Amino acid sequence: MPPTDLQRFKLPRGQQKKAQTKPNQNMGISRRQFLQTSGAALSGMALSSCGWRLAEVQSSPGPLPPNKMYMFTWAGYTDQDLLDEFAEQTGIEVIADVFDSNEAMLAKIQASGGGAYSLIYPSDYAVKKMVELSIINELDHSRLPGLANLIPQFQNPGYDPNNRYSVPISWGTTGLIYNSEKIQQPPDDWSYLWKFQQTLFRRLTLLNDPREVMGATLRMLGYSYNSTNREEIKEAYEKLVALKPAIASFTTDGWRTQMLSGDMNMAMCYSSDANEIMSEDEKLKYALPKSGSSLWTDTMVIPKFAPNVDAAYAWMNFVLQPSIAAKICERLSFATPNKKAMELLPDEVRNNISLFPPEAALEKCERILPVSPEMTEIYESFWTKLTSG
Amino acid sequence: MSVSTKNSPSTNPQSKLDIRRLGSNILGPAVLLGPAGLWLFLLLVLPTLIIFQLSLVPNIKPGDLVIPSGIENYLRVFEPIKLQVMGRSLFFSIGTTISCLALGFPVAYWLAQMAPKKWRNLLLLGFVLPLWTSSLLRSYAWITILRRTGLLNTVLTALGLPALDLLNRSSAVLIGMTYSYLPYMVLILYASLEKLDKRLLEASADLGSQPLETFWKITVPQTMPGIAAGSLLVFISCMGDFVDPELLGGASSMTAARLIYNQFLGATQNWGFGSAMSMVLIMFVTVGIALLLKYGDRDVAR
Repeated sequence: MPPTDLQRFKLPRGQQKKAQTKPNQNMGISRRQFLQTSGAALSGMALSSCGWRLAEVQSSPGPLPPNKMYMFTWAGYTDQDLLDEFAEQTGIEVIADVFDSNEAMLAKIQASGGGAYSLIYPSDYAVKKMVELSIINELDHSRLPGLANLIPQFQNPGYDPNNRYSVPISWGTTGLIYNSEKIQQPPDDWSYLWKFQQTLFRRLTLLNDPREVMGATLRMLGYSYNSTNREEIKEAYEKLVALKPAIASFTTDGWRTQMLSGDMNMAMCYSSDANEIMSEDEKLKYALPKSGSSLWTDTMVIPKFAPNVDAAYAWMNFVLQPSIAAKICERLSFATPNKKAMELLPDEVRNNISLFPPEAALEKCERILPVSPEMTEIYESFWTKLTSG
Repeated sequence: MSVSTKNSPSTNPQSKLDIRRLGSNILGPAVLLGPAGLWLFLLLVLPTLIIFQLSLVPNIKPGDLVIPSGIENYLRVFEPIKLQVMGRSLFFSIGTTISCLALGFPVAYWLAQMAPKKWRNLLLLGFVLPLWTSSLLRSYAWITILRRTGLLNTVLTALGLPALDLLNRSSAVLIGMTYSYLPYMVLILYASLEKLDKRLLEASADLGSQPLETFWKITVPQTMPGIAAGSLLVFISCMGDFVDPELLGGASSMTAARLIYNQFLGATQNWGFGSAMSMVLIMFVTVGIALLLKYGDRDVAR
């Protein structure tokens, strides 16, 4: 039991305070004064040290043993078999770190002032951004004989003329994956979502990407994915607000388990992810909206701070080999831009229209390109309004 | 027998002892506080000052020069849409605090007062055990439970009750967050309730008060420091939590923490605005702690 008779040892409050401050006064400076001045000094020091560059990317590579390489890639793009095969062929050990969005990858590269990565897998618009921020070096095509294997369209893509900085590794579209048992009428276009909003109530997820979602709405309204007209973007935003009650959540990866378990009936997704999930469940099908969708390409680049450039070129040549490209296309289920690899694919993979849509459908697809910072602000502010409402 | 000490080194005739005592007055505390102080300075004070400096630069992006020039970032924080986001954060935090208090107090009371003494520590350990697993995994577990075809609905439909559509709503977020922070609340309340003097309760019963009256007039004021400390801890943790609203909240779950995340790792890369919002959150928390220090530390024997 705690003793309650300590009361008689306690001073009344007034006297207690005096006793505490007495020793301080003898020291010449009170505790409060010390804290105040040191706080002011520190703040002054921090504020006056302006003129430093935020998150600058250094260009001095650190030393690394020649047979080791760090790679920064998407979650589904390499697996242990592939890394082992590469180690067998070239003797270089590769360690892969993963990221789930281009913005997170860029932020990490910039915040860490570079890092130890010799190879990075950005998407097409991120390549442009990285060139602007001068994070990546031009590629030496003489070291990349495999480039000739690519489909003509990918020899000179719009986001990187003549593949000066990047090598395309996979491409795909954005579309809708749906449960054919629960959805009577298959979706044909983005406008399906608005027409059948009631049946899809809270059983629909969209991607957690402002450019993809707003771009799809803009496309449905007849505008471009890369619209820089504030009125058009506002119209798309208002359309999405009308659809909002039917959307269960905005997720880029979380729809997979929910589609497989039957919680969700339709999800907006990337074609490579859709293909992977469709192989697990017969009922799920992929639809490419007929008014057009976004065409994305993932590429490989070598950053200027890469510690092991030779290993990076070795990896690029490795995956450009037709046999390897065909294998990863099949196993990891993403479309390959490698012409010779496509010839090696089994028929069922080559004719898979979710992986390789017909030319006519591809014509209507558009690439998402980076826009000016002011427009990015506008997209982001409408996105924040949409997700916080 | 007074507790005050008479410290007057200037009247000490031996000046050598004077220096030594001064040395020990400074050196002793310095050695004890040094490591923690350095850690605190490098990992807490300095980063906060850097965030403060960044928040004064409008529209700074990685790669720009850092020249503090204005408070535009702070003015942006007070736009209506951002205030709505802050409001949602406050709603989640206050709601979680209240439900943690409502659920945690009975458990802590039972543990501290009514559980058999020899089992007390074991029971407390058992209650805190979930904290040993990853908090992210526990939030994912709630998705499995609250899903439309999840555990909860399986049980409900087996019993013949209607299925609940809890996931991707605010209710799921509150459930998930309450679950995550309940052990902290129980621990702190337990520490406070353990010291409750049972003789006071006996005395009030002897003087004729009903059990409910005793609870509100004796138990709650006695444990007020514990309640305040526990509530503050849960409140602060909830304000900074962006995992639970993200996983469980669905389409309308943008909180202040997630907004800050978007500024740093999203497309805008506006580190200045993100820093300003962080400073505003830090201010909220500081105000809370100041209130606690002022009102929570009252002399309970009074």
